[in-house]
Amino acid sequence: MHIRAVAMILLATAFALPGCKFVKTADQARNAAANAFDPDKAVADIWDSKVVPYLETRGAPIKDVLTLAATDVDAAGQKYGYKAKQGNAPWTFIARVDGVVVAEETKSRAAYVDVDVDGDAKADVRVSLGPAIRGTALRDSLDFIDFNSFKNQIEWAQFGKSFNTRVNDTVLSKLPRENLTGRKGPALGAYPLPASGQLPQLVPATITIGG
Amino acid sequence: MKLTRRLTLAAFAATLALGTAMPAFAADLIAIITPSHDNPFFKAEAVGAEAKAKELGYEALVLVHDDDANKQSQLIDTAIGRGAKAIILDNAGADASVAAVQKAKDAGIPSFLIDREINASGVAVSQIVSNNYQGAQLGAEEFVKLMGEKGNYVELVEYPDLKMVAQQSANWSQTEAYSKMETILQANPDIQGVIAGNDTMAMGAIAALQAAGKKDVIVVGFDGSNDVRDSIKSGGIKATVLQPAYAQAQMAVQQAHDYITSGKKPAEEKQLMDCVLINADNAGKLETFALAQ
Repeated sequence: MHIRAVAMILLATAFALPGCKFVKTADQARNAAANAFDPDKAVADIWDSKVVPYLETRGAPIKDVLTLAATDVDAAGQKYGYKAKQGNAPWTFIARVDGVVVAEETKSRAAYVDVDVDGDAKADVRVSLGPAIRGTALRDSLDFIDFNSFKNQIEWAQFGKSFNTRVNDTVLSKLPRENLTGRKGPALGAYPLPASGQLPQLVPATITIGG
Repeated sequence: MKLTRRLTLAAFAATLALGTAMPAFAADLIAIITPSHDNPFFKAEAVGAEAKAKELGYEALVLVHDDDANKQSQLIDTAIGRGAKAIILDNAGADASVAAVQKAKDAGIPSFLIDREINASGVAVSQIVSNNYQGAQLGAEEFVKLMGEKGNYVELVEYPDLKMVAQQSANWSQTEAYSKMETILQANPDIQGVIAGNDTMAMGAIAALQAAGKKDVIVVGFDGSNDVRDSIKSGGIKATVLQPAYAQAQMAVQQAHDYITSGKKPAEEKQLMDCVLINADNAGKLETFALAQ
């Protein structure tokens, strides 16, 4: 009984052969993997060619951004930032920070330096040093990226997080972590509209901590 | 068999009534379909959508699918049968709901999704999606801050000095969260923090903790319910994350109205709605899933 059943299946397979294309299991797995969303690769593919040039073109001195935002947030957003056309996301601003570190917190996983850009010795902006980075400011500052072209918010979130991962791996992890106060910290990055009374929290795309 | 026939007949009768005998003054109908109202979050969606629909001159048909895709499909049939002009839907599954929304579209009825998205675009007219990732991050960062970046807790990642001692599913239920928390406490009496995936579970967890005399355990929820607001105000739960259920339901009805009256679609189909952290500083401004400005 069993043998006959097996024979019949083989027979059926033999008949089905002409219309079939054999795919090796390994190839199948490779194809599936190729089709799966790879957020790190998606960011790597655009980082040097599109993201950094975009930020360099649009990034204005943070002093200018803060001054205009203080009187007219929407005007500042249109001039120096971006937000999705729909939904309720706040403006994300693109800015250059050029000033002196006046405070540092490097014990926390969400490390940062506070930077004074106008010479009054008071902090004007908080620059994230990672490895834990809040939010998705770098992704949200880009006008050529749209949530609607992603499958769902999970992939959108993974994509946003990959910007932070990349900055951590290639920039922030190489920075010094001690005695930063008093040093110069030129940076270029993005920050979401801060809550009133709070410092803007800038996620840098490029940063150097000099002497 | 009998039931099916009766339903078919009822649907037929409804279609007939619409086609021939609908009085000229009858208001257009908007169907509002959400998960069970047992969770006040979904109730707030339904209430917000219904209020906006009535304000704009529609009749509202409020239905619940109980997170059952089959039931959702039947409710879509009901909406089609009743000749709804639009469907407002918090759906029963990102993949399972695509066919149901497509069915409505094929019947000429536009759908406006709220809270949860579906894994397809071009089927619904709009998808107003709660930004769960952004919201979860807000809640997690507040939790980390409250914990001082260290301690034993239930749920979470990325901070190595925080140690996850238990992760349990309580099916979004308050009573289940209460009993699970009791059990977790027996195994981990030194627990210092709890992150709950929604506010009803946070309420269950805090009740179990208080019953066990653990007054200092930090509990953070998600949704922004009035129950958790009151707990925050009385020093129980420390924080939650507001998903703007009421506002996004109203926004969906407004978009439906614009589409019905002028054929105008929103600029983007998928629209992310950011969440807001609620703690002792702003809990007083929270009412029925909306934050006063």
